[in-house]
Amino acid sequence: MKKLILCVVVVLAGAAAGYAQDRLLGRRTPQNYDSINIGYDGRLAFVRLRFASGFGGFGRRGSGREPPWAHDYPTADIHMMKIVNELTTAGPHVDGSNIYSLDDPDLMNHPIAYMSEPGFWSMSDDEARGLRTYLLKGGFIVFDDFRGQDWFNLEEQMKRALPESRFVELDAGHPIFNSFFEIKNLGFLQSYNASQSATGHPTYWGIFEDNDPKKRLIAIANRDNDLGEYWEYSETGTEPVDFTNEAYKFGVNYFIYGLTR
Amino acid sequence: MLEALFRLLFEYRPVVFKQGEFRFAPTSGSYVALGLAVVAVAIVILSYRRALARAAAPAGPQGGQPGRTLILLALRLGLIAVVALCLFRPVLVIKAAVAQQNFLALLIDDSRSMRIADGPAGSRGDFARQQFTDPSQGVLKSLSDRFVVRTFRFSTSAARLATPEELSFAGGQTKLGAALEGARQELAGLPLAGVVLVSDGADTTDAALRDALLSMKAAALPVFTVGVGQDRLARDIQVDRITTPRRALKGTSLLIDAVVRQTGYAGETVTLDVEDGGRIVGSQSMKLPPDGEPASVRVRVMAADAGTRVLRFKIAPREGEAIAQNNAREAMVEILDRRERILHYEGDPRFEMKFLRQAVKEDKNLEVVTLQRTAENKFLRVGIDDPEHLLGGFPRTREELFGYRGLVLSNVEASAFSGDQLRMIAEFVEKRGGGLLMLGGPRAFAEGGYAGTAVADALPVVLDRAVHTADGDNLATRLSIRPTRAGESHAVTQIAGSEAASAARWPDLPPLTSVNRIRAIKPGATVLLNGIDDRRREQVVLASQRYGRGKSIAQAVQDSWLWQMHATISLEDQTHENYWRQLLRWLVDDVPGAVDVHAITDRVEPGETVTLVAYVVDPAFVELNDARLTAYVTAPSGAVQELPVQWSGKRDGEYHATFTAPAEGIYSARVEATRGGKTIGSSVTQVRAVPSDAEYFDATMQAPRLQRIADETGGRFYTNADLAGLPEDLQYTGRGVTTIEERELWHMPIVLVLILALLSAEWALRRKAGLA
Repeated sequence: MKKLILCVVVVLAGAAAGYAQDRLLGRRTPQNYDSINIGYDGRLAFVRLRFASGFGGFGRRGSGREPPWAHDYPTADIHMMKIVNELTTAGPHVDGSNIYSLDDPDLMNHPIAYMSEPGFWSMSDDEARGLRTYLLKGGFIVFDDFRGQDWFNLEEQMKRALPESRFVELDAGHPIFNSFFEIKNLGFLQSYNASQSATGHPTYWGIFEDNDPKKRLIAIANRDNDLGEYWEYSETGTEPVDFTNEAYKFGVNYFIYGLTR
Repeated sequence: MLEALFRLLFEYRPVVFKQGEFRFAPTSGSYVALGLAVVAVAIVILSYRRALARAAAPAGPQGGQPGRTLILLALRLGLIAVVALCLFRPVLVIKAAVAQQNFLALLIDDSRSMRIADGPAGSRGDFARQQFTDPSQGVLKSLSDRFVVRTFRFSTSAARLATPEELSFAGGQTKLGAALEGARQELAGLPLAGVVLVSDGADTTDAALRDALLSMKAAALPVFTVGVGQDRLARDIQVDRITTPRRALKGTSLLIDAVVRQTGYAGETVTLDVEDGGRIVGSQSMKLPPDGEPASVRVRVMAADAGTRVLRFKIAPREGEAIAQNNAREAMVEILDRRERILHYEGDPRFEMKFLRQAVKEDKNLEVVTLQRTAENKFLRVGIDDPEHLLGGFPRTREELFGYRGLVLSNVEASAFSGDQLRMIAEFVEKRGGGLLMLGGPRAFAEGGYAGTAVADALPVVLDRAVHTADGDNLATRLSIRPTRAGESHAVTQIAGSEAASAARWPDLPPLTSVNRIRAIKPGATVLLNGIDDRRREQVVLASQRYGRGKSIAQAVQDSWLWQMHATISLEDQTHENYWRQLLRWLVDDVPGAVDVHAITDRVEPGETVTLVAYVVDPAFVELNDARLTAYVTAPSGAVQELPVQWSGKRDGEYHATFTAPAEGIYSARVEATRGGKTIGSSVTQVRAVPSDAEYFDATMQAPRLQRIADETGGRFYTNADLAGLPEDLQYTGRGVTTIEERELWHMPIVLVLILALLSAEWALRRKAGLA
């Protein structure tokens, strides 16, 4: 735990995130993804999924030019990889990340992907097929940064990709919460007010291979939670350190799980 | 032909000259003749001196021809010498067997191969019957006139033949050495002139003839061999050899090599079928090679059913084949339905570990225990069955490590191990006989600092000491993977339904990346997969070698999981799963346990003795000589026999037991080992007791073997063409009760021929010179 706190401090002081933020986004949406993607070279890299917004997500927040999938990009992505690099032996890229759509062939070279704001997510048929193939082949997807009614859109979109699938609520006993850190209290970390949550507190839901809880988890959804927010703002001091630490613990566990199961 | 000409010119058979002693037997008249000859020579020389002097003169009517005169002189002197020689009565003194005073051992092959119908009149057996069983006809008549013939029939051993009807030609084996020795011992003490061996020479035993021939030579007993049958069959196909593993895991796709040989059907296409209990479980068509040349064919068989399987490899007999029985061969394979434990140590969290586990998760015969290092001294344990298991990280004792049959080191650097652990890993392969697989990555091979370590000795690839250890800056090279020539036919690289489909599939697979630039392999290692980079440079991707009792494999790529995830790979594609299942099954293939038992041969004749050999080691794989072993042999009837198994005294950890397999069927022997009241382990092996069909393989008449027997013992080899001379030759072996005979040589036709030749030559020379 001390090491994690130290790492958070390191990240807080790091210039890389600011560099990436200014250089790659500057709070604007990237348009030419190939030019900023680091691609695949055998090493782990953060992958953020982009999608067309079904609810006019552009301009919903921030500067008015940011699509919902890009929330916290790229700072959260870089910070997360820096933490993984500092704490584990995974040796990921810390100098860039990737943005792919679900029907992008290059997505297949990265079996862990992150989606922000799935409440605004809509898919073409090709993307639905791409997601299905990705997950059934062995990919793992993390849904983050959504609350309340967003859940229903997420469920609906996932049904398009995997009609047979169903989300199952996970408890702290699931291996994903013990893959690196032992996260015993799933309710400690909160991003939204209880009134904004469907259940009054964050919950974690998963889709299992063949809908069998004994098998591999192929997707996890941080329902009524926003880990990416903590990852992004860990350098600013605007979020409580305990919460930030907890958000990183979830993130590290997700990556270790996605790399090993 | 040559022998007939010899006999025409020299009057006697070659054996008389070979056995006889040359002498002169002059009379008093011979010396008078010698005096006359000397006078004649003197006259000849004197008369030629003048001629020589003239010839030596530089000019003159007859000058300048001294050479011709000398030749004439020599011819004349030669003629006188031949005549003088004859007057001194040259003779051969030879020991001839006294009629009916000597015994003769006649051994007739009674094995099944004598039923093959390529004799001069019917089968080989018919020929043997005609010539050697009726004293009133054939060669036996001549032999019986001279000797007291003792006839034996033999297959596995020799037995006296009371009546010709006892020859059944049903023996399952031919043991020439045992037959000769048996006959020699039975007739020891009798005046034995020699041994006649009537056989096709097809010795089906592995035991060398040498021992038997040594005792025949020591007794100065010549063996006269009579070859029956043809030394080349006109039309025949034979399944020459089958190479199968002794054991295999259930669900393994076995690639089995068969060697086929034929005469008369070159270029034709046939199908080699594999039957298991009458059900075809594999099939492969092949084009038959040129006559007499062996051709190898590889057939794929799925080890689907556990237990002892007798696989029958068969080519359907063709029209006009001489022997149909040699178109099929059987092999026994034990299909094991057990879980083989593999320790997988992964140095970094990476997708290779995840997809490796996914690929083999449905394989019920592989148990992969993964020790995943997630941070410094922090491990994630996956697949453990005991919470205490691997709690302290990688095993620190041999007992713990050697409990696994396979070890996968995946991107974990050498410095993660102590010196003793590195030695343990090498010993895991060398002494324990386990399988070691090192997977590529920035912390593997030379990049992982293994150069110069004990593990480097075990690996099949050469590690470059100049390569710096992992610092995270290694650039990955994209490699297109291709099987080598050896790889194309290897079980691991079969990623499609057939060998050809597999070879065609490899170029379609997406490239992988590697940070381990391996260019050289150890002597004795085999490269199965190569990688070609963007600049067309080649490097080793998959190589293996035997090391001590085990095997080591190097795979120098870091992301084989792309064969599962890549966009060009369909969701249904099983390439990645098949590759890893095959690779890990190969890794643990035939890895020994603490107790390992096998029979010296997996097939015996009913009634033969079976020898079991067991090896016993302790958990650290140190050989034990003080273990208590018991074998439980289950007969085909279900009866269980308990046998003690004793230390051989020859080799550490080696134990022997024997039992007889009287009834036909499969005998199962389970050996249990204990020490100090504690169980060490057990092992099972099977033996088939069935009549052999080996007689029908390589069933042509083996002239070189029969010739060798005759040559080494001072006898002679006969075929049907020259068999008539056998009785006379036997008479002059010099063995037994003999009488001294003198054979005059002066009246040999060759003497007359020589005299006439000398006279004719002199006359012709004189005619040419105008002297006659």
